Amino acid sequence: MPPELSQSHPCEDPAPIPSSSGVELEVQEWSLSLPLQIIEGTRWGILTAPRLREVRLLDDAPWVRSLGRLEPPIRTEGWKFPAPLLESTQPAQPSAETLSDGDPPLPPLPDVETDAFGGHRIRLQPTAETVHVKDRLLFLLQPPLDGLFQGRQLQVPFAPFPYQLEGIAFLVPRSAALLADEMGLGKTCQAILALRLLFYQGVVRRALIVCPKSLVHNWTRELKLWAPDIPIEVIEGEPEQRRTAWLISNSPLKLVNYETLTRDVEWATDSRLFYDVVILDEAQRIKNRDSKTAQAARALPRARSWALTGTPIENHPDDLVHLFEFLDPGRIPPNTPPKRLPLYTADSILRRTKESVQSDMPPKIFRDVHVDLTPAQRDAYRRAEEEGVVHLNALGDTITVQHVFQLIMRLKQICNFDPLTGESAKLEQLRMDMEEIAESHHKALIFSQWVEPLQILARHLEPFGPLQYHGRIPPEERPAILERFRQDPHCHVLLMSYGTGSVGLNLQCANYVFLFDRWWNPAVEDQAINRAHRVGQRHPVTVTRFLTQDTIEHRIAEILESKRKMFLDLVAQADKPSRFGLTEEEIFSLFDIKVRPRRHPHTINP
Amino acid sequence: MSEQTLTMAPPSPMSFSSTDAPTPTLGFLTILQDVTGWIGGYLVTNSWGRPLEFRLTTAVQPNRVQKALYGPTLQEYVFADLIGKTLVEKSSTPVSLLVTDKPPLWTLRKRISTPLAIVRSTPEEGLACADLIPLEHPRARHGLWLPAQTRSDWEIVRALLDQVDPALELSEPFSRIREAVAEARKLGAHHRAA
Repeated sequence: MPPELSQSHPCEDPAPIPSSSGVELEVQEWSLSLPLQIIEGTRWGILTAPRLREVRLLDDAPWVRSLGRLEPPIRTEGWKFPAPLLESTQPAQPSAETLSDGDPPLPPLPDVETDAFGGHRIRLQPTAETVHVKDRLLFLLQPPLDGLFQGRQLQVPFAPFPYQLEGIAFLVPRSAALLADEMGLGKTCQAILALRLLFYQGVVRRALIVCPKSLVHNWTRELKLWAPDIPIEVIEGEPEQRRTAWLISNSPLKLVNYETLTRDVEWATDSRLFYDVVILDEAQRIKNRDSKTAQAARALPRARSWALTGTPIENHPDDLVHLFEFLDPGRIPPNTPPKRLPLYTADSILRRTKESVQSDMPPKIFRDVHVDLTPAQRDAYRRAEEEGVVHLNALGDTITVQHVFQLIMRLKQICNFDPLTGESAKLEQLRMDMEEIAESHHKALIFSQWVEPLQILARHLEPFGPLQYHGRIPPEERPAILERFRQDPHCHVLLMSYGTGSVGLNLQCANYVFLFDRWWNPAVEDQAINRAHRVGQRHPVTVTRFLTQDTIEHRIAEILESKRKMFLDLVAQADKPSRFGLTEEEIFSLFDIKVRPRRHPHTINP
Repeated sequence: MSEQTLTMAPPSPMSFSSTDAPTPTLGFLTILQDVTGWIGGYLVTNSWGRPLEFRLTTAVQPNRVQKALYGPTLQEYVFADLIGKTLVEKSSTPVSLLVTDKPPLWTLRKRISTPLAIVRSTPEEGLACADLIPLEHPRARHGLWLPAQTRSDWEIVRALLDQVDPALELSEPFSRIREAVAEARKLGAHHRAA
């Protein structure tokens, strides 16, 4: 207890005693009670027998005036944070064994600035949704992210790029986050490192990653690479095995594909389960809000919801709205006009393009190869188109868009190969290109909408060691095919279908991409191209798009190009977005047919 | 297996190994000044710079009486006795080494048993005090100083700093403290503390 300073004067006037210097002198004493002798007698000093009386003068106002505390007052407030799980030791390096487990040698990447201390430090910042003082301080007090990966703390195979650190700084403090970087910028790596940080901080103890089936192996590999110290469990196998994995396994990080999640939704949403974070990879898979996949994802009990996709909007702004029903249900009010969407979503979306983050990224060179159909193909095409149009017109108002599709498919297939002779103008050009590519020891990816052309191409491209990766290849064989393509110098070409090979795979070993035929949606084509043109690519990537002259391919390409421009507008949050797939009206306009169905137009996605 | 037999096992600790020897904890102590007075900020981190505890004081503004009473010893008293000692004692996380960027705080070493080192926040900031002696260490790129009176701390401090993660530069956490103090004051934490 600090002493109370008191001032006392043995007179009625409590004023301070002036000092000789004129400065007010404050006589200070501890609170004291002094015995005082008072002599009583006559006015003229006749002393009689003295009497002594003790009087207390110092304790009562107005005789005592407090001057306050001798010490300046001070109080403190403090916050204790969860102890990081990793306190004392060096995490395991990704071992050589781990990396050599069928994985290719990592591509050398440009080094980040080695002396980052002198440069811009990348720090976590609390978001608007972080309301508690303690939580906000916890973010502000974290060490800079760039330092984390330079010391012994979080060992990584190579330092993340600064823009990737910014992506991590974006994810970590957010409970609802959509990382929408362009394909190839390393969304997987950013998500894993952000997750790893949260594990280390003790903030996350259970996490679930949901990805397409074809990417489970890829995720497993990336997790081994970027977070070798986080045990993972892949939920797969027989029902009893999956049930155990869902409900009994204590693995802190679980990985499941969308199909299994949908099938196991009852276990996945068990009331005894709770995930500190759920990550949806290729989150456009839940763009249809009524699909079972979307419902299962939304039902997962979770604290944080992160979504990764390079194409948050594939066809319509509603795709984004449906994504946010997973990320943060209720955030976007019903019937919000597309123009106002950024008001609700902007804080939770991070999108970067290669051009914006990596000026040193090798260029992507588009090469549209216009080929003339062979005479046999031209005859077949003309016949099929004429007969088809006649048939469509004959349907009258019973015509549906499916009828038109059938004709489009037929014509596109003829553009690839003549059905009778097997002639292909595209193949001739492709074979010449492949000879040059193989001679220069490069590799190429070839995409087609169908499996049959890929199988035919495999026969014709035999000298170049073709490998196939599409829906008819059993899933368990696919990782080995990718590995062989990466490793075997004699395998110069990988034949892939858009459906199976366009998403999530890292194939930077290829520098050439051929779109043997075109997909309906530019976003899917971009996904395919970015298997090769992604972080780690050291050489320019040449994208060859085959287009046969005066055919349906040309007409579709023109429409798709205009769609691509609209997509870019929306991503840049520019003006009102539009639809991105082909509308019914656009499909009908591909042919000279006058009939139309009796329905409202809608977007078509085959 | 029936539903009743299912038990929800807690998540297993991750396979992070741990060593027997505890690693040092660091206490970063600074004093900021604004119109309301001197404010102490204290961040306790592990050897990797990750926050374990944070504490700040109310603003200390000595009045005329106190200024007159303490005279030239006022700053030392406020920095070391009042703010520094209070923060260190109030903190529930013991530290192995105290680091400050305020040279007047060196006298705190006389009042506590924990070694204390002084860093410069910036390379330009001058630091001259007969009571301080320099110590070279890669964790302090802009210079490190120890109170001359406690020369025996030298080897202890050096050994402690050797255990600190190379990515942690000793002057860096002070910018975190400044941000955190500003944030806490913006949110009214100091009013609650007062």
